[in-house]
Amino acid sequence: MLRRAVLQTFRQGLAQSFFKRYAVSLTETTVTHQPIETSDEAGEKSVPTQKTGDESGNTVVVAPPEFRFIYPEFLPDPAMERRNRLREKLERMDMLQRRSVIEIPEFYTGSIMAVTVADANSPNKFARFVGICIQRGGSGLRAWFILRNVVDKQGVEILYEMYCPLIQKIEVLRLERRLDESLLYLRDALPEYSTFPMDMEPERRLNNSVVPINPLKVKLRPRPWLERWERQNLQGVEDLNLPQRFYDRAEKVAKPWEKYDLMLHYRKTIPAEEQEKIFAEVHSQLQQQELKRKLRRRRGSDNEY
Amino acid sequence: MSTLGLLRTLFNPKIVTPNAIQLQSLNRTPFLVGLFFNHDQIRTMSRVKRRTTHPPYWHVLKNNQRTDEKISSDNLRFVQEVIQDKYKNKSPIKGSDLDIEKTEWDPKTKRSGVIARNIGVQHMWEKDGKKVICTVLHVLDNHVIRYVPPEEYAKSVIGAKMFKNRKPLGCLVVGAEASNPERFTRQYCSLFDEVGLLPKKRLARFIVTPNAALPPCTPLTAGHFVIGQAVDVYGKTIDYGFQGVVKRWGFKGGPASHGTTKFHRRGGTIGTGRDKARVWPGQKMPGHMGSERRFNRGLKIVRINMKYNIIYVKGTVPGPTNSIVQIFDTALPRRKFTEAPPHPTYFPPEDGTLPQEDIWDSSLHVFGSPSISV
Repeated sequence: MLRRAVLQTFRQGLAQSFFKRYAVSLTETTVTHQPIETSDEAGEKSVPTQKTGDESGNTVVVAPPEFRFIYPEFLPDPAMERRNRLREKLERMDMLQRRSVIEIPEFYTGSIMAVTVADANSPNKFARFVGICIQRGGSGLRAWFILRNVVDKQGVEILYEMYCPLIQKIEVLRLERRLDESLLYLRDALPEYSTFPMDMEPERRLNNSVVPINPLKVKLRPRPWLERWERQNLQGVEDLNLPQRFYDRAEKVAKPWEKYDLMLHYRKTIPAEEQEKIFAEVHSQLQQQELKRKLRRRRGSDNEY
Repeated sequence: MSTLGLLRTLFNPKIVTPNAIQLQSLNRTPFLVGLFFNHDQIRTMSRVKRRTTHPPYWHVLKNNQRTDEKISSDNLRFVQEVIQDKYKNKSPIKGSDLDIEKTEWDPKTKRSGVIARNIGVQHMWEKDGKKVICTVLHVLDNHVIRYVPPEEYAKSVIGAKMFKNRKPLGCLVVGAEASNPERFTRQYCSLFDEVGLLPKKRLARFIVTPNAALPPCTPLTAGHFVIGQAVDVYGKTIDYGFQGVVKRWGFKGGPASHGTTKFHRRGGTIGTGRDKARVWPGQKMPGHMGSERRFNRGLKIVRINMKYNIIYVKGTVPGPTNSIVQIFDTALPRRKFTEAPPHPTYFPPEDGTLPQEDIWDSSLHVFGSPSISV
């Protein structure tokens, strides 16, 4: 949420100088008409130089803005020391290859998902786990998400790497969002909030355009807790009913100036122009894959009748 | 004192390591030492001066020292035109154009290495589902600058040291990463005048046997290596700067609490009062950490991308992301070549067919292939 608002302020031209610097460094302009082809540019090009449609300059592909929420792992890790455009491009190509084999659907923290994994130790050689997504992270091929469920009164969390080839199927049984980006507080909540039946059927959505936000407020167990939830500004938790000294200490320790720190948010995110470039690159392939899947589903439903 | 003890002190085996300095005093004979002290310790200096921040004296000045030159725009444009004219004619070199004698590969051949950039780390999976961390190395635009034959190289400063009592080998100077001549000095650009190449940002020497010699201007690409071969990668480790004793040497420091006063990350004692009664050279203390020459040996090549000149190597490589490394065929005796590799280097096929773009090792799971089922 904050990310979108911050990006909008960037668009309004508050920090345009930063993006100008970015744009200039990517296209090295020299005084001559024909710039000398130094290896900085040559590294981005392939050995037999091929001109893509974007370079010819007439049509500019722009991906829909929802892509940064549906495919957040396509954006690289913002830490500048470890960034390299060529490696990120190759990683995206590998991600698209994997996505052509398996459907990795759109999901958010708070969605209930089922993952089937190849497992040598199970009787069927496949293990299926249903759970609520409490956290997702990573970028590129390292992208992961954690599913939580309560099985036989025991809380179980499994971290799945989205691009691991052992994963056979990822289904989203209920696509929704919650009021927080991370639901780690479910570990300290009453078990009924994390329990989902293993044989849950996928729920069909009536309205496909908007992902609903579940305004559920979760009840926590009595203390001790795993984290200091009162310091984390959680929206999806009922009133914690703690003595006042906890809230006083939380205020002392809080950093309210961070929401005004533009450079901090700039360093934690990828600039909007670069996001557009990245998604424009992968947009056509992702759309093709989606169309193929839709056709397959339609053909499958036709075959039923 | 037993006779065995005396004999042991008489026949003292001297363990000489490259950086060792033996601290036995020459006055005391082993016999007398054996009588009064029951030991003869040889300490090696764990840290001699390992790095210099200046290049060797025979290097020419590399980077342009002129700053803030007020040249008119007309003159700037003229300078650019001159540069364009000088480096205009560059066509991709085919194998048939170069006059390379057809030499045979034998197991004792040392081929050239390659200069690459470590562009980061990518996770891949093997066919049984096991995750593997692979370093992505981008082979830059390498060109051979010159070949120095063995007799000539043995006369140089480094060559004489290297081949003191051995048969001399030749030296191939390879350059990578062409860039604008304006940022270099005239003397540095003159190194590339013979070959007619744009000056390279990075130069390296590779020791080769004479049958693996390459003529100047030969390009070296990712195809120089073979899938599944083992390589050694040389790089300079991450520079951590001035570091304390806990991070640098792995000392345990002191207790964090229980009343400890100002002793949490310190070294503690630096010597006894008895032996030598001074601090031994090589005593581990805080200091500069990192930025050291290291070779990671025996790394397996699991994937080569011929289109972008990328090598994926299983394991990690010394140095931070985006640093320059050098890749050699491995020196480990049990992982050397059994079959002939592209010798002396790889050239694209004459009939113009493009090579296979993405070559994978047989142990890796290819991303476009179906999911693994065990």
